[in-house]
Order: sequence, then structure tokens, then C-alpha cells
Amino acid sequence: MTIPVTTPVNAPVSPRSPSLTTVFIRLKLSLLANGLRQSSGRTAVFITSLVLTVLFAAGLMLGLLVLRGHGHALSLVVLLIGLLALGWATMPLFFPSGDETLDPTRLVMLPLRPRPLVRALLVTSLVGIGPLFTLCLAVGCAVALAHGAAGVLVSVVAVPLTLLVCVALARAVAAGNIRLLTSRKGRDLAVLSGLVIAVGIQLVNFGTQRLTEAGGLAALDPAAQIVQWLPPASALAAVDAASKGAYATAAVQLALSGAALAGCLWLWQGSLTKLMTSPDGSTLAAAAEPTRKDPAAGRGGRLHALLPDGRTGTVMQRSLRYVWRDPKTKAAWTTSLAIGLIVPLFNALQGTGSVYLACFAAGMLGVQMYNQFGQDTSAFWMVALTISSPRDAYEELRARALALLLVTLPYTVFVVVLTAALLGDWAVLPEVLGLSLALLGAMLATGAVASARFPYSIPQDSAYKNVAPGQGAIAWMSILGGMVAGMLLCAPLIAAAIWLHATGAEGARWLLLPAGAAYGALIGWAGLRLAAPQTAKRLPEILTAVSKV
Amino acid sequence: MPDQAAHQATEALSTSEVSEVSAVGGASQAPPAVLVQDLWKRFGDQVAVSGVDLTLPAGRFIGLVGPNGAGKTTTLSMVTGLLRPDKGRVEVAGHDVWRDPVEAKSRIGVLPEGLRLFERLSGRELLAYNGRLRGLPGGEVDKRAAQLLDVLDLAGAQHKLVVDYSTGMRKKIGLAAALLHNPEVLFLDEPFEGVDPVSAQTIRGVLERYTASGATVVFSSHVMELVESLCDWVAVMAAGRIRAQGPLAEVRGDAPSLQQAFLELVGANGRDAGQSLDWLGGGAR
Repeated sequence: MTIPVTTPVNAPVSPRSPSLTTVFIRLKLSLLANGLRQSSGRTAVFITSLVLTVLFAAGLMLGLLVLRGHGHALSLVVLLIGLLALGWATMPLFFPSGDETLDPTRLVMLPLRPRPLVRALLVTSLVGIGPLFTLCLAVGCAVALAHGAAGVLVSVVAVPLTLLVCVALARAVAAGNIRLLTSRKGRDLAVLSGLVIAVGIQLVNFGTQRLTEAGGLAALDPAAQIVQWLPPASALAAVDAASKGAYATAAVQLALSGAALAGCLWLWQGSLTKLMTSPDGSTLAAAAEPTRKDPAAGRGGRLHALLPDGRTGTVMQRSLRYVWRDPKTKAAWTTSLAIGLIVPLFNALQGTGSVYLACFAAGMLGVQMYNQFGQDTSAFWMVALTISSPRDAYEELRARALALLLVTLPYTVFVVVLTAALLGDWAVLPEVLGLSLALLGAMLATGAVASARFPYSIPQDSAYKNVAPGQGAIAWMSILGGMVAGMLLCAPLIAAAIWLHATGAEGARWLLLPAGAAYGALIGWAGLRLAAPQTAKRLPEILTAVSKV
Repeated sequence: MPDQAAHQATEALSTSEVSEVSAVGGASQAPPAVLVQDLWKRFGDQVAVSGVDLTLPAGRFIGLVGPNGAGKTTTLSMVTGLLRPDKGRVEVAGHDVWRDPVEAKSRIGVLPEGLRLFERLSGRELLAYNGRLRGLPGGEVDKRAAQLLDVLDLAGAQHKLVVDYSTGMRKKIGLAAALLHNPEVLFLDEPFEGVDPVSAQTIRGVLERYTASGATVVFSSHVMELVESLCDWVAVMAAGRIRAQGPLAEVRGDAPSLQQAFLELVGANGRDAGQSLDWLGGGAR
């Protein structure tokens, strides 16, 4: 069958249709406007983030202006731009839903040529808060480095080049990984973004503290030596080179950034063409989801052989698998593990710490015992159907606590020993370890009771929502109340430690280790005993609470 | 484990003559598979289930039919112990679900609608987990799981995570999990919703084999044709109440189809939109 290709007679005859770029920019602006019109909350968030970004960028620019003429200005600028480019490259992996105008899979049905499409998408990408921030930063960097006419002249090229390389890099990465991003794996990755931010803030905080120490900036020079040859930082390094009269170096550095831009655009265009001419990504992605190896042959089988029989081993194995496989659980665990280590360790490294801070690790991990059934989501029905007595509930809770201990116990010991080693304060090691174990037991106990009494549902789709709407108060009260209760439960041991210090009974302080271990085990056990009948009695109520959307 | 003698009795009964059975339950000496008395549930101002009485005979393929929002899911949730009723009594195989959960829960299998599974386990791991939680020995669980996966055509996807399964595959793995401990009564909430025809046929085959052995299937659906083709016993539900229950032929009565009988029962037969849209379709525009 052939379809005759004719121009409709009454079609409006336009001498020139608007260019694709104009159409796309209009599309982006109207999508933005419509999104803001949808809810006043969204408008508020947008305006707030815009104002904050502008303020932050202005602050950075001011800082860069102060740097003008500073000996280490170049090092700082190239590393800053390098960091920024890294951010642009990784952002699409963690925030894939950021910009729907740029999702090429939405354009598949339109008859578009790759080259004009890439041009239009690139220009559209420049509209937004991110590019604005990048532009401000690049201008600030150029001002910090440019001296004389040559410097200014190179700046005029280098600043837009930097911006374009950043944007094109992000687009190339996003288009190249679109299969990943639209698959389940990609969505899992996005859930981990909260973790990246949490740990990132700690690292940046630590890094800043190190740099503000006297002579800190000099430490940047070796890294900057390399980064100044990497695009897009090389474009701004060229400004410096040109200002110092090294025109050849400047030319090479500019050319490197130019080549990087061309390379990114070429890669981007390649992935776009492939995406738009091959079968639908979602179909392929679904078919290509990995099949796991036979667990009997893998780690899972061996691990299970070591676990006890019956409900205990089964539940432990499921809990441990979820720590590794469920993005939400994984994010929570990794955050706890990282922060539990970072806080005592970094304080120790800065010489301001105390071994007692290592108790923080036990506290952070103990929080994972809270809302155990909420972590199951509505799949808790499978558990609820198999619990018919307080005994079943006790075994269920005990297995979950044991799975937690399997990781937490060695980890707590590790953090305490490491902190003690860094501070060289071995004398307090036994008592800190004792206190940590008691705290862990108290957290398990209060966590088990809170799981039974105050369950709440954890939304699975968003990285930033850990509590369903309307249940925030329950979540906070149970964790906060539990932590206070945990502290109170540890009070006898804390009092004993203080008393031993006050009376100067140095020789008897090691007794706190066995006492703490025994006390922790005892209150942990008592907490599980207390929580079990409540769990068995409240199964339907727990299921309703954790199934809320 | 199901009592063999009782099974044989009910099997003999079900093969004898369906239409002779009274509208309320099987005339067997064995306890009914499910007995529900004066069951109530209220959510805020809305009464979801208002005074449901049901007596479902053992060894039958039973359909609980009704439009969306009739209270089918709420009723099944209360019958299986997943939702606490405001009032009323539920017995499964002679054991009170709320007073004697140890006996009752071991006798029921459930495939709920709208609740998740442990999706980060593979299909095989999910069955292994579920079977062991049910207290079955590990070797037996693995043997049954392998057979179920095979029969339900999931063997090829057994090591894939359930999160990557399609709707039909999820229903099938949920069914396998519900059957693993060989329950006496199986409750399925909309088991065919969103399922492709091939998977639906597989599920159907397994369920027919299961009821033929004397076990009871209770499933809810709003698709009358499906219920009519599968079930030998139906309970019709609308607006939180049971409108009729009994053998299929009896509930259908003189109506040409269950659909027609149902519309008469809920009084929706008069709502014919035919006349007011007479402009619709071919002819004059």
C-alpha cells in the first residue's frame, strides 16, 4: 500500500517556519511556567532555589574577586571548575528526572535531523538555574585570573566555552546512559542520591576545615597542575596563561577545551541517533534486566548455610539481602555506616575528638532497628500471615536484631578501636566499648518496641521522602523518644563510668566492658520480649500503618 | 494438612449434584470452608462492609463477585486476618481466625490485591523465604518451589528479582507463594486482573487441579463472565452486603447469564443509556 504524499491544500503557507531552537526554548519556558502554575509550593521552591543559587554564586564571585592576584588563585580556580564539571557529569545519573524537555525518548516520533536537534537541545539546556550558576562562577574565575588585554580577550572565549562544555558533558552522559536511567537499576541509583549528598556534605565540611588551616591552599597545587590541562578547567587556565604572556600554552589549553566540546557533542549526537532509530528503550531495558546467578552456587547459599535453621535464619538472610539490594535500605545503612565512622574519625584526625564519640557509631546503626516493619512496606502482609503467636513475633524480631548485630557488632568494635588508635588513648578503650555495647542493646530494645507501637510507611519512589505524608510526627517522635529512652536505659552504666572516674579507680574501669556487654544483651533481650506480644497483637494495625501511600 | 476423610466426603458431594445443595452452605457434616457472621467494617463515615454473612462450602471453586467498591477486598482482608473487623466472627475450616490464629493461619493461603511482595528477592528466593516462614522443612520447600515454578512457567525467570517481573508473573509468583504450604482454603483477590491470556490460562489450570483434590478456592472478581466460567458456587456482593449466595445455577436462576442476574440483583438493569445518545454513531451527523 502506498500513501500519496501531498501538501494539504488549505495548509497555511508560511515562508519560513520558526527554527527548531526557538520552538524548543519556547517549549522549555512554557513547561517551566506551567509547572510553577501547578502549585504554589513548587513556585516557592523554585524561587527560593533561584534566590539561594544567585546569592551563593554572588558570594563565590566575591570570594574569587578577593583572590585576584593571590598566588594560589589559579589552583583554586581550576579545581573549582573541575569539581563543577564533575558535578555536571554525575548529576544526570542521580537526578534523571531533572528536565523533561531534554528527554530524547519523548521526541522519537518527530521527524528531526540529528544536527539541528543537538543544536536546539544544547541551547535549551542553557536555560535554567544550573547554567546560570555555572556562568556566574566562570565569570568570577575569569575575573580572578585575567590581567591585561590578552587575558580579557581569552576570557571572552573561555567563559562561554566552559559553560558549553559543562552542559554538553551532562547531556552526553545522560543520553549515553538513557537505557540505564529508564531501567529499574537507574531508578535505584536515583534513590541513592540522598546518600551522595549526605556523605558529600560531610566530606566537603572536612575538606574546607583542612584548607582553612594556614598554608592549606598550597596543598592544592599538585592536583591543580594536572587539572589545569583537563577541560573545561583548561579554558580558564588559558586565561591565566595568556595574562602571563604564555600565549602558546593558552592556545593549547583553549584548544583542549574546544576539542572536548566537539567530542561531547559528537558523542551526544551519536547516542541520540542510536536512541531514535533503534527500538524503544523501555522494551529493551525490561528484557535485559539481569538474571541473578543460581544462589546455591553464590554467596547467598554459603551465607545461609552458616545461619541457623528455621525462621531465625530465613529472616536474617532476607534482612541482609535487603541491606544490599533494596536501594532505600541500602541508602539508610550506608548513611549510618558512613556518618557513624566520619564523626568520631574526623574529630580524632583534627585532634579535637574523644574516644567517647565512637559511641556515635553504635547509636547511628541502632536507629536501623526502628520501624522494622515499615522497611518491609506493604509486603509485611507475608510476615503477618505467618505470625500467629507472640513466640513467632519474638523470633521474627530477634532474627532482625541478629541480622543487624551481624554488621553492627564488628563495626562498633572497629570504630572504637580505630578512634582509640588515632587518639592514642588506649586506656579508655574498654569502657567506651562497654558503653557502646550497652547503647546498642538499648537502641535494639527501644527500636523493637517502637517498631511494634509506632510503625510508619516509607515511600519507595523518592530519595528524599522517608516518611509518608501525615506520619512525620510518628516517625520523629518514635526515633527521638527512642533515643532519649535509650540514653536513659544506659544511665546506670554512664553513672558507673562517671563514678569510677571521680573516685579515681583507674584499675577497675575495664570492668565496664563486660558489664556493658552483659547489660546491653539483657536490655536488648528484654526489649524484644516486650515488643513481641505487642507485635503479635497489632499485626493488622501495623500492616495498615506501613501500607499508607 | 487437610483431612483426607473430609476431602473425600466433600469431593463425593461436589460430584453428586450441584443444584441440590441448599443456598446456605454445603449439606456436609464437615465444617464449611469459610463461615462469616455479621461482619462489619467502617472507614471514617463510610461503611465498607455492613453485616456480611457467608457460608462457603468446602471443596468448591467459589467466586465473590461485585462491582468495584462493593467491599470485596475489605471482606477478604478481614477473613484472612489482615484487617481487623469492627464486629463479627470469621471461621476458616472450623477455626476462628481472630481467636485461634495458630490453627486458622496455617490453613489459609492468600494472594492479596494492591499489596507488595518482597520484590528485592528473586522469584525462587521469595518462595524459599515464604515456605520456611511457614515452618516447612528447607528441602521440602525447595522441592515444592521448583515444581510450582515449573508448572507456572516461571522456571526461566526464577533467578530474576520480582521487582523486574511483569503483572502476570507477579500474580503467578504470588499464587505459588500462597500454594506452597498446601493450604485448605485459598483466598485470591482479583487474581486475573491485568494478567495476559497465557498466564491466566496457566493460573486457571493450577486452580482447577487444586480444587479437584478437595481444596477450596475463594476468589474475588468484577468480571462476571470469568466467574461464570470458573466457579460452581458464587456470592454476590454490592454496597457492603451479600445480595445472594449459592450454587451458580441457583444464583443465576432464569436469567440468561450471571451478568444479567447480577444487574437484576443490584437493581441496575433499568439504567439504559441508549435513548439519550441517539445521535451517536453512523447516519446523520
